[in-house]
Amino acid sequence: MQDTGKNIIIAGVGGQGILLFSNLLSKFYMKLGYELKISDVIGLGQRGGGVESHFRYSNKPVLSPFIKAGDADYVISFEQTETLRYLHCLKEDGVILSSTFELSTSSVNTRLEKDMPESKTELIRKSGKKTFIVDPDENKNPDFDISKMMNIVMLGFYSEYRGYNHDEMIQIVKENVPEKFVEGNIKAYEKGWAIARAELVAKESEVSNC
Amino acid sequence: MVMMNGNEAVARGAFEAGVKVAAGFPGTPSTEVMDYTHQRYPDIYCEWSTNEKVGLEVAIGASFAGYRSLAIMKTVGLHVAADALGGAAGSQINGGLVIVVGDDVGRIAGDDYNDVRHYGNMFNIPVLEPSDSQDAKDLMVKAFEISEEYTTPVILKITSVICKTTSRVIIDEEYTYEAKCRVKYPVSFSKVIMTTMMMNAKGSEHPKLVKCFNDFPAHMKRLADDCNDFDINKLELNGKKIGVITAGTPYFYTKEVLPDASILKLGLVMPLPEKLIRELAEHVDELYVIEDGHDILEKNIKDLGVSVIGKELFPKFPEMTRFTPDIIEEKLVPDAPKRAIMEGIPFRLPVSCAGCSHLFITQILKKHKIKAAADVTCGLIGCFPHTEAYSLQKCMGSSIALSHGYNVATDHRENFVAMIGDGGFWATGINGLMNLIFNDSQSTVIIVDNSCLAMTGGQHIASSEFGFNYKPENKLEIAKVCEAIGVKDIVTVDAYEIETLENAILNAVNAKTNSVVIVKKPCITKFKLPKSDPYHIDQDLCTQCRKCVNIGCLAIESKKGKDGKVEIFINEDLCVGCGLCSTACKFDAIML
Ligand SMILES: Cc1ncc(C[n+]2csc(CCOP(=O)(O)OP(=O)(O)O)c2C)c(N)n1
Ligand code: SF4
Ligand code: SF4
Ligand code: SF4
Repeated sequence: MQDTGKNIIIAGVGGQGILLFSNLLSKFYMKLGYELKISDVIGLGQRGGGVESHFRYSNKPVLSPFIKAGDADYVISFEQTETLRYLHCLKEDGVILSSTFELSTSSVNTRLEKDMPESKTELIRKSGKKTFIVDPDENKNPDFDISKMMNIVMLGFYSEYRGYNHDEMIQIVKENVPEKFVEGNIKAYEKGWAIARAELVAKESEVSNC
Repeated sequence: MVMMNGNEAVARGAFEAGVKVAAGFPGTPSTEVMDYTHQRYPDIYCEWSTNEKVGLEVAIGASFAGYRSLAIMKTVGLHVAADALGGAAGSQINGGLVIVVGDDVGRIAGDDYNDVRHYGNMFNIPVLEPSDSQDAKDLMVKAFEISEEYTTPVILKITSVICKTTSRVIIDEEYTYEAKCRVKYPVSFSKVIMTTMMMNAKGSEHPKLVKCFNDFPAHMKRLADDCNDFDINKLELNGKKIGVITAGTPYFYTKEVLPDASILKLGLVMPLPEKLIRELAEHVDELYVIEDGHDILEKNIKDLGVSVIGKELFPKFPEMTRFTPDIIEEKLVPDAPKRAIMEGIPFRLPVSCAGCSHLFITQILKKHKIKAAADVTCGLIGCFPHTEAYSLQKCMGSSIALSHGYNVATDHRENFVAMIGDGGFWATGINGLMNLIFNDSQSTVIIVDNSCLAMTGGQHIASSEFGFNYKPENKLEIAKVCEAIGVKDIVTVDAYEIETLENAILNAVNAKTNSVVIVKKPCITKFKLPKSDPYHIDQDLCTQCRKCVNIGCLAIESKKGKDGKVEIFINEDLCVGCGLCSTACKFDAIML
C-alpha cells in the first residue's frame, strides 16, 4: 500500500543533533514529493533542556504544525527520560525507537525532585507499544563517537525499519554534514542499519515462535 | 518552492517588499529574522541597535526618508520601544514602516505571558498575524502596502510556533531587489502636535496647517471598511453548527480538529472585518474564538456586539500557555479520547554551560552571603531554586537601578549588589549607572563582560569585537565608559582567576564608594573556547554533600548506576576543566 504520510515526534536534549536528524529526513521526504511541516520546540536546549521536533509528512497538505496526542506514528528519542514524555502521543499501533542514554535532570540532581523509582528503560518497554531500544554503551565503536552521532545511528535504524533505499539516505547525509564528519557519520548510519536488521530478525522469530 | 521556517520567510518577505533598512534588538523567538536578512540579502542595511527603542527610532527615521523600513524585536522589547511606537502611531508615513514582533507563546524560552496585540488596541494601529511560513512572507509584503496606503506603522505578530515551524514557501526566483522609496509627506510629527493643530484650527485650509495635519482616525476607519475585502481575511463557509474566528497557527489546529467547521481566518487581526464576522455569525449556531495569547480578538468582537465563546470555554493562562489541537479536541469534539502524559517524569530546570563565567560569580556571592539583584542574562539561572544566588530579578537592564533603590531605602546599611550582562548594560543598564552616580549612591555593580548577548545566541554589542557594522576604532570600552560616567572604583578581572575575583568583589562591596567590577571571559559557547582537561570525582572521597551539584554546571550530574547506587560524577564530554567545582568541594574529592 502506498504510504500516505506519517507523524513523527523526535525528542532528546540539546546538543544531540535532533534538528539535523529532522533536516535530513525532510530532504528525503521532499525528494519523494511529500508535503511537510516540521515544528521545533527548543527550550534552553544548549543548556541541557529538552528539544522536541514534530515532523509530519503527507501526500496532502499538512495542517497543524503540532502532532496531536494519539496521532504519532513514531516516537524517535535520543534520551530515555524524554522518551517517556511522549509515550502518550503515540497511536495504538505506534512505534517507539529509543536510546537508553540518560541525561540526569537538574531538578533531580539538586534534590528538588525525586527521580522515578522504576527503571526508565523498563517503563518504555512496558508501554505496550512496539518498542526498539538502542543502548549506546553496547554499541560503542572505534570508527565513530556514538555519544555524538546517536542521531545518525537512529537514522540508519529508522531507514532500515521503513525499508528505505540506503544509498539515497547516505547521499543525503553526505550532502548535509560537514566534510570532516562524513566518514564517521556513514559508519554511524551503517551501524544503525545493522542493529535494526538484527533486531528485526529477532522480532520476527519471536512472532513465529508463538 | 523552498522549505523555510517563519523567521526565514519573514526575512524573504522583507526582501521582496524592497526593504532598505532593518534595525532591532535580539529576543527569542524572532532573533533569526535579522540573522537571515543580514546573511541572505546584503542589499538591506542591517543593524542590531543598542536596544529596541533605538532600533525602532532608526527604522522610523529611515521610513521618513522614504525607504521601507523594518524593526525587529520580541514583545518584551516592544515594551521598551513603546514610546517610540506611540510617537509613530497616527503620524504621516513615507516609506512603509513595519515592526516584526515575536510573541513567545507557550513560554518556550521562559518568557512572560505577553501579547503584542495590546499595542494595536492601545495605539490604534494595524496588526497582522500569519499562520505558516507562506503566510508570513505574504503578510510581510502586505504589511508594507498597508503601512503606506493607510499611513500607519504596522505590527506583524509572529509567535514561537511560526518562527520555528518549517513549511514550504513559493518564492519568485526571478525577483530582483529594488529598494522601494516613496516621499509623500514633507513633515511627520507625533499625534500631540497634530491634535493641537486639529483642535485649535478646525477648518483652516492654511497650507502650513494642512501640512502638519494627518487625519489618522479616518485612515483607520477606511482600513476597517476595506479589510472586509482583503484576501488575507478568508471566510470559509462550511457546516452550520460550529463557526470559528481564528488567526495564526490556531487556524490550522482548528481545521485539523474540526474539518466541518465554518472558519473566518484573519490575516489582519486589528482592525476587524466586521461584515465578515457578522456573515459568519449568521451562518452558524455556535461561534467560537480560538486565539493564542490574551483574549483580545474576543473582546474586540464582543465590542462589535457579536456574541462569541472564548475564554469561558478555553480558560487562558495559567490553565493554558498556548493553544494546541488537543485542547480544541478536548472541548469541541464529543467523546474525544483522553490521553495524559505519564506522571512523575522529572522536569529540566535550566543550567549553565559548563565553565560559564556567571557560575564563578554566583559561587562567590553565595559563599559570602552577598545579597544581589540579577539582570536578564544567562546568569539569571542563579535565581532558580537549584542555585539560589540572587534574591531580586526583573526586566532587562534593571538590576543597577533596582539595587540602588534598595540601598537608598535601607540607608546603605548593606551593599545590595547588582549583576548585569554587558548587553543589558549597554541596552538600558547604563542609565541606571549614570543615575546612581549623580544621585550620590554607593552600590556595587558587577558587569559580566562576555563580549556578546549570550542568552539569545551571541549577537554583537557596542563592546564586541565583531558585528554587522564593526570597526575596531568604534568599539566601546566598558571600563572607560564607567570611568567617564564617574564611577570611583573600577576593576577588571578574569573570571577564572577565582581568588582575584573573590577579592575584587569583596573589596568593592566593602568600599564606601560606588564601584564596578568587570568580569571578563568570552562566552565559551559562542566563542568555542578551547577546553582544558576535565576534572573528575573520586568516589571514595565524595560524601555526596551535593555542594558541587548546586553550582549549576551542566557537566556535574547525579545518576543511579546500573548497580542502583547513586553517584555524583562529572561528564567528561561536557567539562571544560575550569576548576570551579574543585574549589567548592570541602572534601577534596574533585581533582584533575
Ligand atoms: C527588553 C528585552 N529585550 C530583549 C530580551 C531578550 N534577551 C534576553 S537575555 C538577552 C541577552 C542578554 O545579554 P547580556 O546582558 O550580555 O547577558 P549574557 O546573556 O551575555 O550573560 C536578551 C537580548 C529581553 N529579555 N528583554
Ligand atoms: S551561553 Fe555563554 S554566557 Fe550563557 S550559559 Fe553558556 S557560556 Fe554562559
Ligand atoms: S562537593 Fe565534593 S563531596 Fe560534595 S558531592 Fe561534590 S564531589 Fe562529592
Ligand atoms: S571543572 Fe567542574 S565546574 Fe568546571 S566545567 Fe568541569 S565540572 Fe564544571
